[in-house]
Amino acid sequence: MRTLYVDGTFAGWREVARQALLQGLAPHQLHWQDADSCPGLFDHGQAALPASTGHLRVPAQLLQQLECAARYRGEARWSLLYRVLWRVVHGQRSAALAGDPDGSELQRRIKAVRREAHHLHAFVRFQPAPAVSEVDLLAWFEPRHDILAWASRHFSERLGQQRWLIATPADGVHWDGQRLHHHRHCPRQWQVWATQPDSEGQALWQAYYSSTFNPARVNPRALKQHLPSRLWRHLPESTLIPQLINQARHGAQHHSQAPVLLRRPGKRIAPPDSKD
Amino acid sequence: MQLLDKLTILADAAKYDVSCASSGAPTRSSKGKAGLGSTNGAGICHSFTPDGRCIALLKILLTNFCLYDCQYCINRRSSDVPRTRFSPAEVVQLTLDFYKRNYISGLFLSSGIIRSVDYTMEQLVRVARLLREEHLFRGYIHLKTIPDAAPELIAEAGRYADRLSVNIELPTERSLVQLAPEKRVVSIRQAMQQIHHGEQQAQQERRAPRFAPAGQSTQMIIGADATDDSTILHNAQTLYRSYRLRRVYYSAFSPIPHSPKTVPFAAPPLLREHRLYQADFLMRGYGFQARELLGGPGNLALDIDPKLAWALAHREQFPLDLNRAEQQQIARVPGIGMLSARRLVALRRERRIRLADLLHLRCVLDKARPFIITADYRPSQAEQESASLRQQLRDSPAQLALW
Ligand code: SF4
Repeated sequence: MRTLYVDGTFAGWREVARQALLQGLAPHQLHWQDADSCPGLFDHGQAALPASTGHLRVPAQLLQQLECAARYRGEARWSLLYRVLWRVVHGQRSAALAGDPDGSELQRRIKAVRREAHHLHAFVRFQPAPAVSEVDLLAWFEPRHDILAWASRHFSERLGQQRWLIATPADGVHWDGQRLHHHRHCPRQWQVWATQPDSEGQALWQAYYSSTFNPARVNPRALKQHLPSRLWRHLPESTLIPQLINQARHGAQHHSQAPVLLRRPGKRIAPPDSKD
Repeated sequence: MQLLDKLTILADAAKYDVSCASSGAPTRSSKGKAGLGSTNGAGICHSFTPDGRCIALLKILLTNFCLYDCQYCINRRSSDVPRTRFSPAEVVQLTLDFYKRNYISGLFLSSGIIRSVDYTMEQLVRVARLLREEHLFRGYIHLKTIPDAAPELIAEAGRYADRLSVNIELPTERSLVQLAPEKRVVSIRQAMQQIHHGEQQAQQERRAPRFAPAGQSTQMIIGADATDDSTILHNAQTLYRSYRLRRVYYSAFSPIPHSPKTVPFAAPPLLREHRLYQADFLMRGYGFQARELLGGPGNLALDIDPKLAWALAHREQFPLDLNRAEQQQIARVPGIGMLSARRLVALRRERRIRLADLLHLRCVLDKARPFIITADYRPSQAEQESASLRQQLRDSPAQLALW
C-alpha cells in the first residue's frame, strides 16, 4: 500500500493521479491522504512520486464530472475519483454511469454538489459591509461541500460592479469588482464582519415575508419539503416561521389578510361617477 | 407613511396573484458593467413562505387604491382596508436593495386602477423604465398589464418586461359580468392578442425590439363562482391555443375580510386547485386534450389524479407493452412521466425493458403496474374492474391531507 498526498485541490489531485496512472498503480495499491488532515506533511516533501512523462487520454466530460465530484466533502473523496478514472482509462466506461456502484456514487456526489451550489445561489444573504472592509456587501454561508470558489462566480454576474465577499467556516471568496479571489482559509476578520447582526436592514424583508404569506393556505409540510430546516439558519426570515404558522393555525382568522393589518382603519373609495 | 408600513400593505394586497416564475428570461450579465442583475433562463426560489410557496420576486402593488369593485378582490373600492401608494422611486429602491441582498431575482409589479387605465399603466411602465434605463437593472421584471390600456403603453411595457400578464380573472364571461362589473372579456382578450402579436414580431423580425421574452401568463380564480372544472379546462385550452400563453395559473379563491355576499365565505378545497394544475400540466406537456380529461360537464376527481382517471376510463388501450409502444403512449401510463418514457425508449434500444427498470427510473410502480407489460411481467389485474382498481389506487387520506 502506497500513500499519496493531495494538497486538497482538484488540480493537485489530478497531477498526482496522472503520475500514478502512468506508473500503472492500481486503485487497491493506493492510500489517498488529504494534506489538510495532516498539516505539515508537504513541508517534508515526501509526497512526490517519481515523475513520469507520457500522455493519457481522458474524455473531457469525465474530467468535468470528476472535478465536480471532487467538491463533495465525504469519505474516500480522492480514492473514488481514482477508481473511476482507472477503470474508465482501462476500458470500463460504465464506471462513471449510474448503473455501476462506483458510477452511482460518483453521480450522487455530483448531484449533491450541484444542489449545494443552488442553495448558495438561492439562500446566501448579503448585507451592507462596514467601510473598513473595502467591499460593498458581505455574507456568511455554511456550505456542506467545497463549492464556494466555483459557485460564487454567479454573484459576479449578478452584482455588477459591487464589491463583495462571502465568508464561511472554511474558505472565503472576495470579488474586487474585476476578479474573484479565493482564500482556502477564510480570514478571521471576514468571519467577524459577516456574522454581525443587521436587524435594521432585514426589517423590510421580514415585513415583506410576513405579508406575502397567505395564512389561509398555511401548509408547514410543504414548507419543510421545499425548505429543509438545516437551511433556516441562513435566512433572516426563518425566525418568523413558527409564529406565522401558529397565528395562522390557532388565530380566530380564516381569511388571507396579514394579521397585522386586521384592526387597521380602512378606507372605502367612492364609486367614480359619484365624485362629479 | 413609513416605507415599512407601505410594504406591509402593498405586499398583502398583491399576494392573490400566485405567479412567482422568474424563468424564461434571456441570458443577461452585469459582470464588470455598471448596473445590476443577471438572468440565465432558470428561475431561483430565494425563500418559501409557510404556505409552501416560493418567493422569487418582490411581488407588490404600486397602489391598492382602486376604482373598480371586483367582488373577489381585497382591494375593491368597497373594501374596508388600509390604503397606500408607493412612489416609483420607492419601488425602485426596494427592488435594488432586496436584489443586492439576494432576497429576490426581480420584481413583479401590479396595481389597483387609479384615475384612469392609461394613467395606471403609465405608472407601471415608468417603474420598469427607471429600473432598466436609469439603474441598468438586468434582473427579471414581470409587469401586470391593464386591459384597455393604450397599445403604445403595452408595447413599451413589453420592451422592459421579461413577462407580461393579463388576468382572465374568472372562467366565464357571465361570472365576469357578475363579479367584476368594470371588466370586459373582449378587452382582456385584446390585450392578450396584442402581447401575443408583439412576441411573434420580436421572434420573426431580427430588428424588431425585444418583447416580453419570457412570454405571457394569466390567472383564473377558482371557486369564487360555480363554474365546473370542465369549463375551466376548456377555457384554458383555448387560451393556450389562441395566445400561446406560457402558463395559466389557477388560484383557489381566498376568503377576504368583509366578504361581499356575492362570493362564497369558504375557500374551495386546495386539492381542487392541485388537480387543475395536474390536468393543465397534462395538456401542456403530454398532448392531452381538455375533452379527454373531462368529456362532459363536471369536476376532476379529487381522490385520484387526472392521468389515472383517464387511464381507468380507457382500459381498452391497456395493458401497454413497454417494449413496443410509442413514447407518447408510454407517457400516458399512470405513474410514468415524460422523462421516464423517453429513458425507457432509449433503454430498450439496448435491451428489453423489465419491471425493475421502472423502479430504477423512479416511476410510481403501484400506479403503473395494472397498465403495463414488460419482458418479465404481465398484470394479473388486467381483468380487474376499474371501480375496484380505483379503490386500490386512490391517494391515501394522508397524501390528501397535504392539500
Ligand atoms: S381592478 Fe379589480 S382585481 Fe384589480 S385591484 Fe381593482 S378591484 Fe382588485
